[in-house]
This record gives sequence, structure tokens and C-alpha cells, in this order.
Amino acid sequence: MKWIEKYSTVLRISLQNTFVYRSNAVGGLLFYSLFIFVFFNLWRAIYQGGEVAGYSLTQMVWYLCMTELIVFGCKSSVFGQMNEDVKSGSIAYQLNRPYHYIIYQFSNALGGMIFNLLIYGTMAIILGLIMVGPIPGFRISALPFGLFSAVLGITINFFFMMVLGLTAFRLEENTAFFLIYQKLVFMLGMFIPLEFLPKWLQSIARCLPFSYVAWAPARLIVAFSWDFFWQVIPMQLLWIFISIILSVSMYSYGVKGIQAHGG
Amino acid sequence: MSAIEVRNLNKLYRARVKEEGLKASFRALIRPSYKEVEAVKNISFSVEQGEILAFIGPNGAGKSTTIKMLTGILHPTSGDISVLGLDPTKERKQLSYRIGTVFGQKSQLWFHLPPTDSFTLLGAIYDIDKMILKKRIEELTECFELGDLLKTPVRKLSLGQRIRCEVAASLLHSPDILFLDEPTIGLDVVVKHKIRELILKMNREQGTTIFLTSHDTGDIEQVCRRAVVIDHGEIILDQPVKKLKYDYLNRKIIAVRYDVDQHMEMPKGVTLEKAGKMGARLSVDTHICPIDEAMRWIISHGGVADITVEDPPMEEVISTIFSHQAVTG
Repeated sequence: MKWIEKYSTVLRISLQNTFVYRSNAVGGLLFYSLFIFVFFNLWRAIYQGGEVAGYSLTQMVWYLCMTELIVFGCKSSVFGQMNEDVKSGSIAYQLNRPYHYIIYQFSNALGGMIFNLLIYGTMAIILGLIMVGPIPGFRISALPFGLFSAVLGITINFFFMMVLGLTAFRLEENTAFFLIYQKLVFMLGMFIPLEFLPKWLQSIARCLPFSYVAWAPARLIVAFSWDFFWQVIPMQLLWIFISIILSVSMYSYGVKGIQAHGG
Repeated sequence: MSAIEVRNLNKLYRARVKEEGLKASFRALIRPSYKEVEAVKNISFSVEQGEILAFIGPNGAGKSTTIKMLTGILHPTSGDISVLGLDPTKERKQLSYRIGTVFGQKSQLWFHLPPTDSFTLLGAIYDIDKMILKKRIEELTECFELGDLLKTPVRKLSLGQRIRCEVAASLLHSPDILFLDEPTIGLDVVVKHKIRELILKMNREQGTTIFLTSHDTGDIEQVCRRAVVIDHGEIILDQPVKKLKYDYLNRKIIAVRYDVDQHMEMPKGVTLEKAGKMGARLSVDTHICPIDEAMRWIISHGGVADITVEDPPMEEVISTIFSHQAVTG
């Protein structure tokens, strides 16, 4: 059980580190609120009663609160950090330690996210309640399933960022991958629900990982159904599996040819 | 038994090359051209357990590349390495429990947290028992005089204080070998001295093998017993520091400024490098003209306004070694 202690210490120290950025957290919360408020008004103007693609205005606003919670909560991106480590050469310190680099980074990222998710989560609930009130027919008993899916979504996001970040071991410049990935996640479910997109695009997106980061959990939270749950959870698990395999093989490939810069 | 064995080690890099200008940039975009850089060329050496070895050379000589191969971060292109009987490339994890590294220009401490948190983390990473870790931290705190530093966020430490914490962090798991890559870079004279003393102490008390790279002649003179000089990826010299000192570090550069105009006759062993109206830059061969004689001679002219004594830079020492070797073959 030594390894549990090892990685839980990593998580704890990383969590401690996030407490340092207090003003950063306040600024982030303000920006988050502003963002939600602007889009709340936009959606209110678009919705003149009724629903769009099965989402009522209340659900839409909660949907937005949830997807943005994932964006803001997972801001400390493993991708950016790895790029910086490779470019500054401090990767040299991280590679010759007795741990598995990927698990280390995962615990590190989790530690960095817990606090953020808590504060943005609280803010999401407050904003949602103030702007549109609770969703009619919302069952609190279904919430854990939605949250479970959110954890899976965050995990998918982490490992894909890891895969992209690992390209830094071999490539000089890799930010383009990150931008493409980010935009895909944004367009395929983060900004608007997948149902708003044309049918053909929806069916493509359902086969890709990007929508399972934010769309699947957010929809489960605002409009839970067992049917949908059993549709998306296996897909999420599949993508986690694939992304882990990818990052492990990328790692073992990358580490052999790493170009350690500086000094 | 030797702690480190290196046989015919090579490291080839593929570096992208691009000529100047927009046109060339565009060409490189479509068809990038590469050139092979031999960072380390066929080097062999061994280090005994408990030895203090200086691995020296100018910037870009291949020192860091070698350290990174010895610690398993970089994979060699060809050749054999054995560190504590392990192959760093294949057994990096086992090896990492037994070696410590300090990269002077990088930090392993968490920037916003006090060093004690980083120590706790490293303790967990190296599977050190909590009680043992506590004792070890106390030991190192005393030895490195860390005291209050341990509770101060790293960002508020001075460079010298931080490096002391960095070295202590690398010693938490009581490694058999400590690799130090430019540990004194950017430090002032007093702190440099302190770090050197600490390194010596670790070696004396715990028998830690020290592998140190530097381009500071002081590091080598004051800490190491043996020096390997590397330039352009090749070992050009491997001998005791004593001999190196006698053969190559026998020159001092003295810059002196007078209050009044001087006309100086150079004594034997002193050559004029640069002459100004009121001052001069002199090179003293201490074999021929011992430094105290040279100083007395300088002062005898009277009216010294300012004087500095320096060691020749590493680059110069290396070129002397080169020219010497070219003569003796």
C-alpha cells in the first residue's frame, strides 16, 4: 500500500499549492460569474418561451453552469505545465524519480483541481439558483450519477491533454494540437449541447471523445435518464481506457527520444 | 568496486537547422533540414566509490548530456553505462532510489510552498519511513543550517538559500552517488564556499560519491581530487586535480590601476596582457614568479588604486590544455 501513500502525498501537496493562489481564485470566480451572466442573457433572448432541442431555458442555464464548471475547474492544464517543464528542462528532475510519471501527473492534477471544483461548484449552484431557480422535476437522488459522469469526463480530458502534452518530448512546438483539441471540446458540447448541432454532426461527435468531457455529464445533471446514463457511461469508460493506453505508449515512446533542454 | 563505469559512450542529436531569412524559413517549413550533432563522442571513464570527480569543460561541452545519460534521463546513442551496477536506461527506477541529482539552474522545490512541504513529498516519493525522514531532515537542517528557511516559501529565498535547500532535498534518501550539475552557478563567493564545504562534508561523513560538473575552476580546485576535462564531447584530460593545478592552473590574472603614470619593467614569469596609461592587466605564471612575489613587485611601484586577482577562465585553461596536448601528442 506504499504506492497509495506516495500518490496521495503528491495530491495533498498539490492541493496545498492551490491555496496559495487566493487572488487568482477570486479573479476566476468573478470571470466565471460574468461569463455565465452574459450567456444567461443571451439564452434568455434566444428562448422566447418553449424549448430548444429538448432543453428548457432553466436546463440550458444549468447546462452552461455545469460545462463551464468543468472548464474553469480543470483550468490548471497538465498540457501547459508539461510543455513548460520540457522547455525549461526541469523535466530532468521529474523523470528520474521512483514513481510512474503519468500517475504522478494525474495525482498532481487532481490535487490542483479539487479546490477549484469545489469553489466553482458552489458558485455554479448559487448562480443557477439566483438566475433561473431549480430545474422542475430535478431529483437530487440522480445527482451522484451525473457527478460520477463528470469525474469520468474530467479524467478523459486529463488523459487526452496528457497525450498531447507528451508530444513535447519529441516535437519542438505542439500548441496547435492543444488548440484544436480545445476547440473541438468547446464546439462539441461545452458551449452548446450536442443536440443543437445538425444530425450528421451529432452522430459523428458521439463516436469521438470530445463530447464526453462536458456534454454527457452536463446533460445527465440537467436532464437525468437511465437510458442516457447507460448510453454515455460505457463510452466514457471506453475513452478513458483508450486515452490511458495512448498516454502510456506515448510516454514510453517519448521518453526514449526526449530532448532535454538547457544546461 | 567502481561506482560509475562508462565505456565508449556516444550521444548524437538531430538538430534542426535553418538559414537566415524568411525564404529559408519557408523552405524549412516544407522540407526541414537536420544536422547531426555529436554531443558526446566515444568517452570512457570510471569513478570509484567515495571519489569526488570534477567533470569540467566550457559551456556546451557535453557535461550535462553526460550527467543526463548517467541518471537515465537521456538514452545514449551507443556505448555502455553502469552506475552502481545498474543500467540507467533500463533500470532507471531502481537506480533513482540510490542516486541524487542537483541541477543548479533548475528547481525541484515547489515554488510557492516552503521547502519542508517539498521534503515531505520527496520523502513519500522515495518511500522513506516517516520517522526516518524526520530524523534525516533534522540532520540535514543542522548540517546545511536550514533552520528558518524550511518554513519560508521558496519564492522568498535567495538563490544561495535555495541551492542549499535543493542540495539537501537531493540527499533526503541518502543516495550513494550525488550528481551535481553546475551547483554553484550564479552564487556569490561566500555561498559558493559554503556549498563546496557541504559537499566535502557529505563525502567525508557519509562516503557519498560525488560527480560534479562545473566550469568554475574554484569548484574543482577546492572540492575535487580528480578531474576529467571534456570539450566538444571528447575527454581531453583525466588526471588528479593536484596535477591539473600544477600543469594548467598555474596562472593568475592581475588587473591593477595606479594613481599615477607607471612605466613597468616586467619581472620573469609576468607578462603584460594589456597596458593602459594608469594601469595594466598582467598574467602571472606562479611557477616562475610566485604570487606573493608578484604582488610585492606590483605594490613596490606605489600608489595602487585598485587591484583584482582572478583565475583564468575555464575556456582559456582548456585551450592551454589543447595546445599542450598538441605539442606532447
